[in-house]
Amino acid sequence: MIRLRQLVRVALLSAEMGLRHAATDAFVIFAVFVQPLIIAVLGLFMLRERGGDYGMFVVVGSGLTGLWSSLLFVSGNAITTERWTGTLEVLVGMPTPLWVVVLGKNLAHVLQSLGSMVLAYVAASLLFGYPLTIAQPVPFLISLVFIVISFVCFGLLLSPLFIVNPDVQRFQNGLEYPIYILCGFLFPILLLPGWTNPVSYALSPYWAARALHAAAAGEATAASLALDWGLMLALGAAYIALSAFLFKRLLDKARRDATLGFQ
Amino acid sequence: MNAIKVDDLHRTYTVRTGIIRRSVKHVVAVDGISFEVQPGELFGLLGPNGAGKTTTVKMLTTLLLPTSGTASVAGYDVVRQGQQVRQRIGFIFGGERGLYWRLNGYDNLRYFASLYHVEPDVARRRIPELLELVGLEDRADEKVEGYSRGMKQRLHVARTLLHDPEILFLDEPTIGLDPVGARQLRQVIRDMQQERKTILLTTHYMFEADALCDRIGVIDHGKIVALDTPEGLKRHVSDLSVIEVEVYGIPPETVDQIRNLPFVDTLAVEDRDQRQALRVQTPRGSEAVPDLMASLNGVRVGRVQVREPTLEDAYVRLVSGVDGSG
Amino acid sequence: MIRSLTLNTRLFFRGAYLSYVALFAWLRPVTYLASKVVGPLMQILFFALLGSFATGADTIDFYVIGNAVHVVALSGVFGVSMSIGGDRWNGTLPYLFGTPANRLAIFVGRAIIHVLDGMVGVFLGLLWGVLLLGLDLMQTDPAALALTILVTSFSTAGLGLMLGALSLITVNVMFVNNFVYFALLIFSGTNIPIDRLPAWMQAVSSGLPLTRGLAAARAIIDGASLPAVSGLLVEELLIGLGYILIGYVFFRWFEIQAKRRGTLDLL
Repeated sequence: MIRLRQLVRVALLSAEMGLRHAATDAFVIFAVFVQPLIIAVLGLFMLRERGGDYGMFVVVGSGLTGLWSSLLFVSGNAITTERWTGTLEVLVGMPTPLWVVVLGKNLAHVLQSLGSMVLAYVAASLLFGYPLTIAQPVPFLISLVFIVISFVCFGLLLSPLFIVNPDVQRFQNGLEYPIYILCGFLFPILLLPGWTNPVSYALSPYWAARALHAAAAGEATAASLALDWGLMLALGAAYIALSAFLFKRLLDKARRDATLGFQ
Repeated sequence: MNAIKVDDLHRTYTVRTGIIRRSVKHVVAVDGISFEVQPGELFGLLGPNGAGKTTTVKMLTTLLLPTSGTASVAGYDVVRQGQQVRQRIGFIFGGERGLYWRLNGYDNLRYFASLYHVEPDVARRRIPELLELVGLEDRADEKVEGYSRGMKQRLHVARTLLHDPEILFLDEPTIGLDPVGARQLRQVIRDMQQERKTILLTTHYMFEADALCDRIGVIDHGKIVALDTPEGLKRHVSDLSVIEVEVYGIPPETVDQIRNLPFVDTLAVEDRDQRQALRVQTPRGSEAVPDLMASLNGVRVGRVQVREPTLEDAYVRLVSGVDGSG
Repeated sequence: MIRSLTLNTRLFFRGAYLSYVALFAWLRPVTYLASKVVGPLMQILFFALLGSFATGADTIDFYVIGNAVHVVALSGVFGVSMSIGGDRWNGTLPYLFGTPANRLAIFVGRAIIHVLDGMVGVFLGLLWGVLLLGLDLMQTDPAALALTILVTSFSTAGLGLMLGALSLITVNVMFVNNFVYFALLIFSGTNIPIDRLPAWMQAVSSGLPLTRGLAAARAIIDGASLPAVSGLLVEELLIGLGYILIGYVFFRWFEIQAKRRGTLDLL
């Protein structure tokens, strides 16, 4: 019976490892920090016309694009990179389940990507010449906690998905903008045709954006937050369930087809 | 109880080639092997490349599912009780990969220790011991990407010992190492055997198997063609003497001619710069020398030597599938 | 003289053919679809929607045309720079420099196929605009538009050539390429009207490809005639040539350095 303590330790060490690898990777730095910053600049110029308090709106929206990029490219590739370094075989042969290692890495990536929101905040504040204010800071911070939990679960789903079905991975690059659009990062989804809404509702980044935008603008109510947080947790649980299924499939398939080793 | 028990294990790969016109090939990697390894034994799987050694080890370490047959490690079935197996084994597939190159040696071991569920205080004590055992204590704080191949191999060995497993699987551990490094590693393996661990080693170096192993299973084309102690295997060819002849520029037709001589069991030709060394296994011993020289008419001959067969000769005979025919 | 000419022409077309093979041989249909058809569509959709949210639904054409024409950057920046830089990783660089032939022919020949690929991408983008976002092309002079896209694709490819030559000596190639690709979104008038940018940013815009070509394209779709935008097109062409020249200088300088230091095959 594997003790919980040991698994937690593995997860934390995997997180530390993930951070160290990702901190120096040029690709990660671009996708998670530079690109969202460019989107922030674009957003700030474009939405200036609209007027109103668009500063924090852009910060939140562009920060979320950074979180998503990290999830899509870094967490999504978690298992694939293990295969490249030849360590996947070693990991699978260990008594620790693979998903614990992936969970740890996801935690590191999500926490790191929060940095993109911080960066956007600094840039926007500089541009405006004064620090931007968050209307409801406590709900905002609590929302961030829920977001970390929910995104870690989403990442847990993506990494086996990309390995089990390599065709999905080919569309990896094309999945950036659709999420920005469907999850209402930088504009509300009421601009979209109604039939796309169910897709939006099934994605936890949508509820993340809702919660953060509302808290930043001072429009969050207990009811709206309960809905956002609740759904982030519920979807997180669903993602975990799906990922458990995928991990089992991944390992069975790999053992059968001998694809654990470097291809 | 056996440490490792393999019963009629099979593994077939399906290879799909082509994009437009798909063709499916079935490659049989392991073709019904059976053997047992006793606790504390150092067992060798000896065979040429592609014989099925690595495939067998991957099945025993739960990384690959057999197509049929059963195997158990430490009493646990490798397919159905994989988790229990993984807790009790260590394995090396070696090579450049399988380590985190951006971390240093110490941190690699620290990470793997946690994956093996080694308690932190135990790990803190054991890691320096292991680093010293494999001779890496001075280089432990350097990033693995700067390690030589031999150093990486030694770090792999340290990794497998972190959780003090009862059974070790070493797949071609000295391949690609320089002679000094290889010798060091073999000593480490001997030390591990002193600690009464069960070790299954695969190799294609005859002398390594001879030097280290208690028993050797000779594997070729997915089948075990012989299973015995090194001495026993040598006895397998004791009825044969080996005549070694050094020649200068022997034409291929003459080689075939000699191979087909009635008293020649097997003929192996080794190239050494401008010379070739012919190794003829024959039951007639030194009596066969004149006839052999006669068939070498016209070829410039150097040294001629008649000697006792070695493990390598036994291996050649077994692996060429010969027993009486040429 | 004639011999040198025919040799260079052969090299030119050889380079073009190699680029074609490189582009389409390794790109499987799914990947091509994903990166050249779906990818740009997503970018257009995102910025069109963001733009209409920002400045009103009646301004959506601005963003649609902007991001559709920006597609030239995909082949111009990535495709071209990688076709030059690819030699470095293939280890074929020494062979390239070893030939006595005119390197310019090789250099530019590689880029041709990407210029054409870029044009196709833009037309696909405009098509998406018509089909999904109500873009009205009724006022457009097709020949004028085609010429404009050609010139714009050409000048962006020129930038790509310079980046490609740079990539032979830099380490973080993809970082630079990605940065330029995204910077064009800000500076070239794709999503932000140039006159809304601060002065220093406008200066950058005028030094980049795509800026004038995009302005010309917007004018033509709005009904302008070719003579009206010819000034812009000439400037765009000159910018492209300028980048090609700078790229070629880098290329030659790098070659001389590498040959002098004997580092050609160390890369």
